[in-house]
Amino acid sequence: MLASILASGLAIGAVYALIGITYNTMFTASRVMSFTAGQLGMLGGVFGALFILRLGLPSVLGFVATLAGCAAVGVVTEVIAVRPVLARLDQHLYVLSTLALALMIQQITAIEWSTEPQPFPRIFGIGNGGPLDEKFWLPLVACGMVAIGLEFLYRRTLIGRAFLAISEDNFAARALGLPERNLRMASFALAGMIGGIAGFSSGELLLAFFANGAMLNFYGFIPVALGGLGNNRGTVIGGLALGLFQQAANFTFGGVFASVAVFAVFIVVLLAAPQGLFGVTVARRV
Amino acid sequence: MSLTRRRFSAATASSLGLAASGLARPAIAQTEPVRIGWMGALTGPLSAPSIGFDRGTKWAVERINAAGGIKGHKVEIVARDTQGDPTKAVNATQELIARQKVHAIWGPPNSGESLATTPIMARSRTPNLHPCVVNSLIDPEKYPNAFRLAPSNTQWDDAVRAYCLDILKVKEVAIFGDSTGYGTSAVKDSVAGFTRDNAKIVYSGVIDPNQSDVTPDLLRMRDAGAKVLVCWSVTTGLNSRVMNARAAVGWDVPIVGHPALGTGEVGKLVDKPSNWANVYMVGYRSCSFGADGKLPPRSQDFVDTLKGKVELADTVLWWVAIAVDAIDLIGKAVAETGSTEPDAFIGHWNSLNRYPGLFGDYTFSPRQHNGYPTDEVVMSAANSQRDGAYALAPGYT
Repeated sequence: MLASILASGLAIGAVYALIGITYNTMFTASRVMSFTAGQLGMLGGVFGALFILRLGLPSVLGFVATLAGCAAVGVVTEVIAVRPVLARLDQHLYVLSTLALALMIQQITAIEWSTEPQPFPRIFGIGNGGPLDEKFWLPLVACGMVAIGLEFLYRRTLIGRAFLAISEDNFAARALGLPERNLRMASFALAGMIGGIAGFSSGELLLAFFANGAMLNFYGFIPVALGGLGNNRGTVIGGLALGLFQQAANFTFGGVFASVAVFAVFIVVLLAAPQGLFGVTVARRV
Repeated sequence: MSLTRRRFSAATASSLGLAASGLARPAIAQTEPVRIGWMGALTGPLSAPSIGFDRGTKWAVERINAAGGIKGHKVEIVARDTQGDPTKAVNATQELIARQKVHAIWGPPNSGESLATTPIMARSRTPNLHPCVVNSLIDPEKYPNAFRLAPSNTQWDDAVRAYCLDILKVKEVAIFGDSTGYGTSAVKDSVAGFTRDNAKIVYSGVIDPNQSDVTPDLLRMRDAGAKVLVCWSVTTGLNSRVMNARAAVGWDVPIVGHPALGTGEVGKLVDKPSNWANVYMVGYRSCSFGADGKLPPRSQDFVDTLKGKVELADTVLWWVAIAVDAIDLIGKAVAETGSTEPDAFIGHWNSLNRYPGLFGDYTFSPRQHNGYPTDEVVMSAANSQRDGAYALAPGYT
């Protein structure tokens, strides 16, 4: 029983963490909380099933095509929903524009794909549904690789440092000659790919289902709040903790009461540490 | 006997009454067609049942008209697509009654829509036949014009309980549903029914239909000592996850419940076909294969008649059969009474006693508008669909 709770808790927690990282990646480049993050996760599952099961592509090609598709959606998000509102960021118009785009993505998927959950292909065929099945460890592996990859990108590469530069101070970055708009688009494409990885790696767990987007939007935001906005390490820890707590609550209290327990803890944590468990309180100049 | 003023008044009143009762049922004009309103979710995500109903409706009308109509009157269907939206269903109902002036309405088949349209039809006393299961839709006092051709939710519940307690002979029951309004109320009703029959409810609860892994919930049921799982969920994702989790923990407990357990979508989502075994869904004796692999003779004749004319492989037999029954019941009411007045339809249907339809033998009375016989509601093997029909679950003769 413990093995089952650990396996499914860590798996779903890793998916929440990946969606949280998607939020963070878009936020650091634009200071915008884009509510398309969950839909990118949903599309990762739908594209994977589409390319591999329906179109018959090999898994590797299907994965690459999924990443390309999600990156394109990330870029579209930046162009349609983010760029027009950046000039009036203080008015929080992005809430409306990104939410509207997220709803459009969801409705189009429902119409063009299916309103019923569709099967997702077995990628390696390892396991028989038990705690060691690939559907449980694939999201965990994906989360680890993405977190390490981003650390490497941001700390060891020039383009990664450029991302950090525009997130710190985009006016100064532009003054130094950095192509801010292109970097922001690249950042949204990267966020799209991370969302796609979340959906693809959890496809066997969540199935290819249009309604997953809203659920991932919701639960993916919690690790961001717990870990501190923009803090990927905190988001990973927050996501895994959320997944474990949720599955333990499922076992202890049952389905619907588990959600109540999760949000009760979430509220308590935010009351105790409003900046998140790993966030830094920013000094305000007065 | 002398003619007093009081006797004269009484005789005059009774004569006028007799005359009025005769006048209340004017004969239908010879050239007038019988206009039947039919509405359902013909497109959109909820369209699967209505597409089946639509096939039966069209086939029945074509058959009647090809045979010369009802005593010479052609049958005309005025169809409206509600897309499963109660607002569209309300608009369609008002249009069918006020503008199209239909003589009777068949549908809508979705309970959510029917909850909105039934009071409207009751106000105009438009005769209405529908296949919705929600209990409150039938109330002869409030809705004397509304008649149910399918079983009610209570009858589904009775069939599930009878199968668990009398055929599987288990008393320890875990009851769960999805966390939709339907799932929550169905679980509550089911718990009340099992409690009444002295079963031991070891677990009851609702599960979020989007929950990615239901193994913890299943382990709770197993640890509580459940010998059967009663499932009230319309969500294929949750139903298939329960079956997959049951296989993963190596627990071959029977799952009994909602007809959605047997939809083809579930078949696509189970990890292995064997995960779908030992699952039994609400079904109907008239549309079930027996142990000999054959349908009851009346249904077999019907299926043979439909061959090459109506596709059954991608739909459910009872959806088609009940639609044919609905059109036939409207046609018979006109044929028997010679009238298209609402009271003629309602009076005729209220007098039916085991009317032999394709889906079942219907019985109505002024006090009972749930016409489907409870003993026709049975359990079917969820993984056995063939030509729209299912095999009877083990234990039935």
